Amino acid sequence: MTLNRRHFLGATAAGAATLSAPMVMGGSHAKPRVVVVGGGAGGATAARYINKDSGGDIDVTLIEPTRRYYTCFFSNLYLGGFQEMEDLGHGYGNLASQGVNVVHDWATGIDRDAKTVALAGGGSVPYDKLILSPGIDFVDGSVPGWDLSAQNAMPHAYKAGSQTELLKAQIMAMPEGGTFAMVAPPNPYRCPPGPYERVSMVAHALKANNPTAKILVVDPKPKFSKQGLFEEGWNNHYGGMIERIGPDFGGDNFTVDPAAMTVDIDGDVNNVDVCNVIPAMKAGKICEMAGITDGNWAPVNAADMSSKMDPDIHVLGDASQQGDMPKSGFSANSQAKVCANAVRGALTGSRVFPAKFSNTCWSLIDTNDGVKVGATYEATEEKIAKVDGFISQTGEDAALRQATYEESLGWYAGITADMLG
Amino acid sequence: MFLSAVGGAALLLGVAYGVTTRQYRDAEIAVFERKIAVIEESRLATAETASREVELSDKVAELEAALATATEDLATATDALATATKRAEDAEATAAAAATQVAAAPSQEPAPEPATIVTAGVFGDADRGAEIFKQCSSCHSVGQGAKDRVGPHLNGIFGRRAGAHDGYRYSDDMAMMGSDGLTWTLETLNAYMENPKALVSRTRMNFSGLEQPGDRADVLAFLRQYSDDPANIPEAEPTAVAADRAIDPEILAIQGDPEYGEYLSSECQTCHQRTGADEGIPSITLWPEEDFVIAMHAYKEKLRPHPVMQMLAGRLNNEEIAALAAYFAQLDE
Repeated sequence: MTLNRRHFLGATAAGAATLSAPMVMGGSHAKPRVVVVGGGAGGATAARYINKDSGGDIDVTLIEPTRRYYTCFFSNLYLGGFQEMEDLGHGYGNLASQGVNVVHDWATGIDRDAKTVALAGGGSVPYDKLILSPGIDFVDGSVPGWDLSAQNAMPHAYKAGSQTELLKAQIMAMPEGGTFAMVAPPNPYRCPPGPYERVSMVAHALKANNPTAKILVVDPKPKFSKQGLFEEGWNNHYGGMIERIGPDFGGDNFTVDPAAMTVDIDGDVNNVDVCNVIPAMKAGKICEMAGITDGNWAPVNAADMSSKMDPDIHVLGDASQQGDMPKSGFSANSQAKVCANAVRGALTGSRVFPAKFSNTCWSLIDTNDGVKVGATYEATEEKIAKVDGFISQTGEDAALRQATYEESLGWYAGITADMLG
Repeated sequence: MFLSAVGGAALLLGVAYGVTTRQYRDAEIAVFERKIAVIEESRLATAETASREVELSDKVAELEAALATATEDLATATDALATATKRAEDAEATAAAAATQVAAAPSQEPAPEPATIVTAGVFGDADRGAEIFKQCSSCHSVGQGAKDRVGPHLNGIFGRRAGAHDGYRYSDDMAMMGSDGLTWTLETLNAYMENPKALVSRTRMNFSGLEQPGDRADVLAFLRQYSDDPANIPEAEPTAVAADRAIDPEILAIQGDPEYGEYLSSECQTCHQRTGADEGIPSITLWPEEDFVIAMHAYKEKLRPHPVMQMLAGRLNNEEIAALAAYFAQLDE
């Protein structure tokens, strides 16, 4: 799903035409208004479905600061050399041409009484229902010695784009036999298998270009997603290259020094050549600004993803605290559809169907060695609760692993089309 | 002197005669001897001919016997061919008539299976089957409260090992077939109903058989309603045989709600593209509704092996599957 320039410009022009239409009819305040903040897997999907399914009966505005969205999912494959960064970038032209008002600006505040969203560029947008899908921000001070000002020396690369490109450039410039370090995040965080797929992809790149290099993972968690599958794969493909230090060996007691390029693990100072710091995470800042967070995340009702603090605000994806679902693009997309159905029902009286959620996370360990984990979920009074699940097995044959990888490529094409039209 | 001369002459004559006679006899003996030799020769020749004749006639007999055997074989082969042809025709007819899916053969059966891949469009008619079953009901009962009568009750017959229903006294042959591995599947039941003795030689079921494949398919569809799961298929096997299988016609008859289907389909469209693109993940648009329903139930029953699909189909009820089928069938892209 890539747009060429001509297609993009055409789509934008068409979008501008529809953008002006409701204003002409406006004044009478005829149509209910939905504002979506954040154009990722949750927000873009919600905007697209509400717009599409309401057949023009709801005004949908999508506020997203970037003109080109780079998917965090598959960005590890860029590090491994399996994807081009350009192929991970997607514009909003199709959504605009389908009638969504796409506003490229930062949402800087929410007035819940006036029901308006303030924009960095000035002015504000009124809403009847607000959907927040801002993704994650980092918890200040969670990695001693590191803050956002150090993200060039020690990139997080956990919001895809320039950070990912920087990290890859640093990996490719590592001295022969050098050390790549990762500080893995504590739970809960975006994409549970993500750091470990990243370790696999970095190992794949180093094996080809710098085979005597080492990978050192500092991990405050005793265990992690798909651990058996990753460890089997690391042993099979990258024997001896990867060392992970868990909390039993001081992996929960570390500091970093971005100026000296050192990682201190339980008093043991390690010189490293690249350090990928993935800090602890919290809901995107706009949730905190809206006053709908409890601790680091925004609690929601499982049936419709509405905030427990405000029935007219819904929170999707990584930012929400919903229960059993992992923070993933697939989950956000799944939650967006349930939310879109509920919001549309509330605003226009259309039929509201029972919430059904699902998630699958594919990870690539090496060329044609794909694994996956997934589950289905339902809404209970208390939370989104897991119903059933599966995981790839260790020792699967090469054909199945390859089919799993190829399936993940199909999923990528599917979900990006499902989000962005 | 004269006398003596005469006497001498006579003697001479006599001697001469005697000599002549002896010579003559010798000659005569020689002639006989030659004749005997000829006869002997002839006799030998005749004996040789006779023995040769015997030999040849043996050969002829042998050849005739061989011919007879060959003719017999030919007859047998012709019969076998006729039987095989009939079976093939019947199998085809059964396949066409009996929509109930063939339960895959239990793995311990090495015998080749007739390929009866069946589609939903030609499912047996359970209502008609109930009518036909009336001729069975003097001996067999089925349904709620069914009990063994002259014959065993038929609840749960699909998937049941032959001769294995506790409390009923089977014929020795039926019991043996059961211990040999005969299990009641669509296919074996179909064969048994066609000709009971073809499957179980001395069965006590005194019934000549249902000749029409369509009748059997209808009765099977009727009986299916009183069985749990006709298939015992290891879920990890490839989909080829197990792919599409028996679905209760009542499930196939459900009219799906396309609006609900559209909502449910949003979950499918995270992976399956609405445009029908099928790289890495198959297209699911524009399927005939029944094929869609059968496939989804095969995942739900874990007959098809994909874990994501097993999981997602597993929590869809019959109405939801029908709703999805109705929606996807009407997509006109």
